[in-house]
Parts: sequence; structure tokens; C-alpha cells
Amino acid sequence: MRRIESQIDTNAADYKANFAAMSERLKEFHARQHAARFERPQRDIDRLARQNKLGVRERLKLLLDPGTPFLEFSTLAACREYDGTVPGAAVVTGIGIVQGREVAIHANDASVKGGAWYPHTVKKVVRLLDVALENRLPVIHICDSAGGFLPLQHGVFPDRYLGGRVFRNQVKLSQANIPQIAVVGGHCTAGGAYVPTLSDYNIIIEGTGAIFLGGPPLVKAATGEEVGVQELGGAVMHTSVSGTGDYRAATEQHAFSLAREIVSQWKRTPKTIIETAAFEEPYYDPKELYGIIPKDRKTQFDMREVLARIVDGSRFHEYQPDYGTTMVCGFAHIWGYKVGILANNGVLFNDSSLKAAHFMQLCNQNRTPLVFFQNITGYMVGREYEERGIAKDGAKMLMAQGGSVVPKFTVIANASYGAGNYGMCGRAWDARTLFMWPQAEIGVMGADQAANTMADVKIRQLQREGKELTEEEIAAIREPVLEKYKRDVEAYTSTSELWDDGILDPADTRNALGISISASLNAPIDDPHYGIFRL
Amino acid sequence: MQRIFQIDGEETDCWLGHDGSRFVLHTPTRAVACQLDPTGLPGGYTLRAKGVVRELRLAVGPEATFVHMNGRTYEVGRVDPAERLAGSDGGASDDRLVAPMPGVVVSVAVKPGDAVEEGQPLLVIESMKLETTLTAPRGGVVAEMPFAEGDSFGLKDILAQLAPEEE
Repeated sequence: MRRIESQIDTNAADYKANFAAMSERLKEFHARQHAARFERPQRDIDRLARQNKLGVRERLKLLLDPGTPFLEFSTLAACREYDGTVPGAAVVTGIGIVQGREVAIHANDASVKGGAWYPHTVKKVVRLLDVALENRLPVIHICDSAGGFLPLQHGVFPDRYLGGRVFRNQVKLSQANIPQIAVVGGHCTAGGAYVPTLSDYNIIIEGTGAIFLGGPPLVKAATGEEVGVQELGGAVMHTSVSGTGDYRAATEQHAFSLAREIVSQWKRTPKTIIETAAFEEPYYDPKELYGIIPKDRKTQFDMREVLARIVDGSRFHEYQPDYGTTMVCGFAHIWGYKVGILANNGVLFNDSSLKAAHFMQLCNQNRTPLVFFQNITGYMVGREYEERGIAKDGAKMLMAQGGSVVPKFTVIANASYGAGNYGMCGRAWDARTLFMWPQAEIGVMGADQAANTMADVKIRQLQREGKELTEEEIAAIREPVLEKYKRDVEAYTSTSELWDDGILDPADTRNALGISISASLNAPIDDPHYGIFRL
Repeated sequence: MQRIFQIDGEETDCWLGHDGSRFVLHTPTRAVACQLDPTGLPGGYTLRAKGVVRELRLAVGPEATFVHMNGRTYEVGRVDPAERLAGSDGGASDDRLVAPMPGVVVSVAVKPGDAVEEGQPLLVIESMKLETTLTAPRGGVVAEMPFAEGDSFGLKDILAQLAPEEE
């Protein structure tokens, strides 16, 4: 496979300006990520110490194999909700390695509101369990939660993808023969009691861990019975009397070494075999991505330059290089795994849509996972293109993409507007993982177009009521709409709402994809089959 | 496997085959049976070909292999045949820049009569929320820039025209 020859001049003024702008953005991003992971009010840290509990990060350190990667999802979930007081949505999720095995981790962060379930917590946990189901990854739950956050119970409890879905997914995992362990390092009350009880294995830490449907105060209120935490649902009672708990651990260290021992007992099923090549670092430095991504989102850039800093050896076998050129398709390796890449080099035209559909069928046929790099402002509009059937050709692309049986992975590298998001495997299309770069935007259209459309509707409405508007009045309507929309399309809004699995430093993209692809091979790949293509 | 080797600057097409008992190197003019055995020394081999036996040392790098034989070092470069063949298709470049899609001119960087180099930006267009810089397909002199800043253009309109190259 040939190496991409980069045309980038790292001494050019543009490159340097882009590099500076991206570095500035990343400084903010890393600071926010650090704060969400580690910065807590002193009283919450003191409370954990008083309760004789370890923080969630220390727990993960005890559980995971030392020196192995942990792909954390949605670190900045809920960063724009609850006035920013629920960092990470009070839960840590991700894919890590335990005893050499890829596992999905769901760990309550009791340093945030006692690990209470907020609406975004539930969304994050359900997503993690979906990841476990799709990729057939065993799950390790670390339970330490105050329970559902009552003032927002309507956003936690009733709907199809809310609280009940956590337990429903646990049942589906068990049904699919995917093992789960729960380490109970705090109270599991009410619904929370079903996380350890629906797991094949659970470990209760003596003194701090407890499981009950109703805690002591609720029992007192309901029946008048006075009972302490340990008698009601402590480690000794559950592991020797009720059989609700399987293992009793004397300390946190003991609990996590037991969990590791359990994982080592599991049968190892062979992973799905796809084409591989010897691992090779990219020839071009991934940090050069900072200078390649334009500081102005509207400026076009060549995705091949991006791919050259992501894939093994910067080697890329381009498919149909001279047809439908706004859609770059081709084969490469990431961490040695052969992948088919689809990357936007402009608007999707009829030919580029057909090329994409054809290439995806090719990859499904030879069981090659698909990686999408989005910088898409949409499918081309206008009479000429409608007459050529742009909607029909776009539908073919959606049919091929949505019907793909190979694992799919998406990176929103810049713009993700309109139906282009759909064609390029946006959130609704079951990408095994989907990440965003910090400057990227996602929305039904660009900020200016949307603000103008919304403001025009308002202005026409006022004009119908007979009001004459001055330039200033029109600006006064447009500006707040524009400001709000600009914020709504930002990556931080997306990641806050869990429309993605996290924001990435572009230089980390290769590793995030590597782990994602490796994890996806725990699940088999089906034979290709599709719906009806509108030819 | 067909290979192109560059030995001290000169290129040779070769094909290394196997006749069932030994390797045969096919060059454009003949076929030579050959055998290469490690001597146990680092990078050391014994080459047997056409009844001649030679001791040699090999050092393999990512782009080239160095062969030390008879007191001399030869650099043997490998040329990717796909790369070589891709490089030979350079047809004449076009004199015109044709609009890849309908849109609006954002800015114009050159005027008729200006001398430009290959890859130099000529104008910036916007279409579908995306700004694209169009650059000179070759070095030359600008003959026409039919559109000004703010003008709309249609698909396949000519956005820039270079003066024909003199033979």
C-alpha cells in the first residue's frame, strides 16, 4: 500500500495560524476534561474519606491491567446541564482491559452528588450497555449510587430508554451469554439493587457495600420496623443468609482482586478474524493535524492530509480516485486492522453518493470494518441535481450505510450538517463508537443559515401584524437567535447531551479508533444483506 | 512478483520465481538460477549463481537494501510498480478552471495579465456553506477572470482562463 504524499508546508503562515488556534482550543478542552475527572469540592472528597471509600479513579486503577489503555466515553457528559454541577454525569464508562480481556466498565462516581442518577447519567449508562451488547463485551459494574435524583425523576425513570433500560440491557446481556460482575462499593437502593442482582457475579465490600429495595429510613416510614444498614442489606447478611450476594470482600483492594480473578475464570471465545497487517505508526506526525484543520470551519481542506496522520504508515489505497472526488474512499490499516475509509472532501453529489454506496457494499462483501470521517455540509441542492436524482442517490447511500453488517466507526472531524450526517453514519446509524473533534459542529444546517431562517420567520410574522421593523430591530431579533444556535451546534453541547461518545484531541483519534476496532471484533460479523436500493 | 530495482541509480525490472527446487531470477534478457544461504554472521549470506559463489552482507532499510560484496557496497532501491506506473500518466494540464458546482465568488486573487505559478490561489468560491480555494493548474499567465467578488456562477462555468502555453 502506497504512502500518501503530504502537500502540507509546516512553515506556511496558514498552517501556523491553524496550529495556534487548535492548540488554544485543546488547552481549554484538556482543562475541562481534567476538571470533570478530578476537581471536586473539598466536602465531597472529605465525605468519601469519612465513609472509608476510594474514589472512582482509584477503583479503576485497582481493577484494570496496569499500563493498558482505557477508552473513556463521554467524559464531558452533562457539562452544559445542571449548571455544570454534575461532571461526567456522575458516572465513568469506557472500555478497558482486565486480565488481558476487553471489558466494558460502568462505575458510579460517588464524589458527584453521591453518585445519584441524573437523566444524563442514565443516558450514559444505557449507551455503555448498548456498546457492551453490540460488541459482546463483558461488563463490570462498580456500584456506589445514592439512587435516582428525585427532583428530576421524570427524566430518569419512565421512558423507554431511561432507568428501566439499564436493567433490561443487563437481562439482554445475560441472555446473550455475555458475563457481568458487580462490585458493590456503596449502597444499591431500590432500582439500583437490580444492578448487582442481575449480574452473574457480585462482590460486596464489607462495611461500605449494601443492597436493599428500601433503605432503613424508607422501611421505618413504611412499616415502622427499625433496622440498621448491615442487618438489612450488608455483605455478611447477603452472602450468608439471602444469597443475594456472591462474594464478601474485606477491603476495596480485596474486592477488585476478586473481580480480576473472576474475569480470569471466563472462557475465552476467539475474536472475529479480519485482514491485518504488521502494526506501523503513521509516517506523518499526528500532531500536524492541528495545523491542517482550518481555524475557519468554512474553509475546505483535503481529508487525505488528515488520513495521512491517522492510518498505519500513512498508507492509503484509494478507490476510484478520479470519480465522485468529493467523497474519498479507500483502504488503510489502523493498529494493523484493515479498514475501509469514507471521508468527505466536499459536498455530496450524485456521483460521490453512488461511489460511497458502492464502496460500502464492497467492504461488507469482504468483511472490512468502515471508518467515516465527517466534514459534510450536505447533499447538493438545486434543480440540476434534483433532476439527476440526488435524493434517490442519497437514499442508496443510506441504504448501503444503514444496511452494513460490518462494524462502523465515525469521527466528526469538522462540519456535520443535515442529511450528510445520516449518510456518513451519524449517531442514529449505530456507529460502534462516534467521536467529535473540539472545533466540530453538528446541526441540521450551519449557524448563519439557521439563524437567518428562524429570524426571517419571526420578522415576516411581525410584518404580517403590520409592524415596520428598523435595521436595529431586525438585528435585535437575529443576534440572540444566532448566538443560541451557535452554542447549540458546538461540540460541547453534543458531548453534554451524549450525541457522541466523547470529544477527542485529534492526535488521539488513531488510538481511540484502534481500541474501538479491536473491541468490535469480540462480536461476529453477519453475512451481508440489504433493503431495496432505489436504482 | 514483478519488482523494479534501482541499483546505483540504474533501474532494472526483475521477477523472482521458483521452479520447484530453486529460485530463478528473471531479468528482461535472461533467467538466472540462484541460491542465497545465511552464513550465521549478522547479515552474512552466501550467494550461488551461474556456478559462482560469493560471500556478501545485507543491510535492509525501509527504502533500500545495502549489499556489500567484493569490497564494494551497492545501494539497491525498491520502486513500487504502482507508484511508477501512476507517475507516468501526467497528461497536459487544462488551461481553464471549471466550476465544480454552482456558487458565489468570495474573493479574486489575480487579474488578467498576472503571471502565476502552479498551485497559486486564483480565487475563493463558496457553495453549500463551504469555501474552496481554486488554484492554478499550471504556471502561466492569466488570460481571463470572468467573475468578480460577489458574482454568482453556475455549474461548469469557466472561473479562470490561462493564456495558451507557447510551444
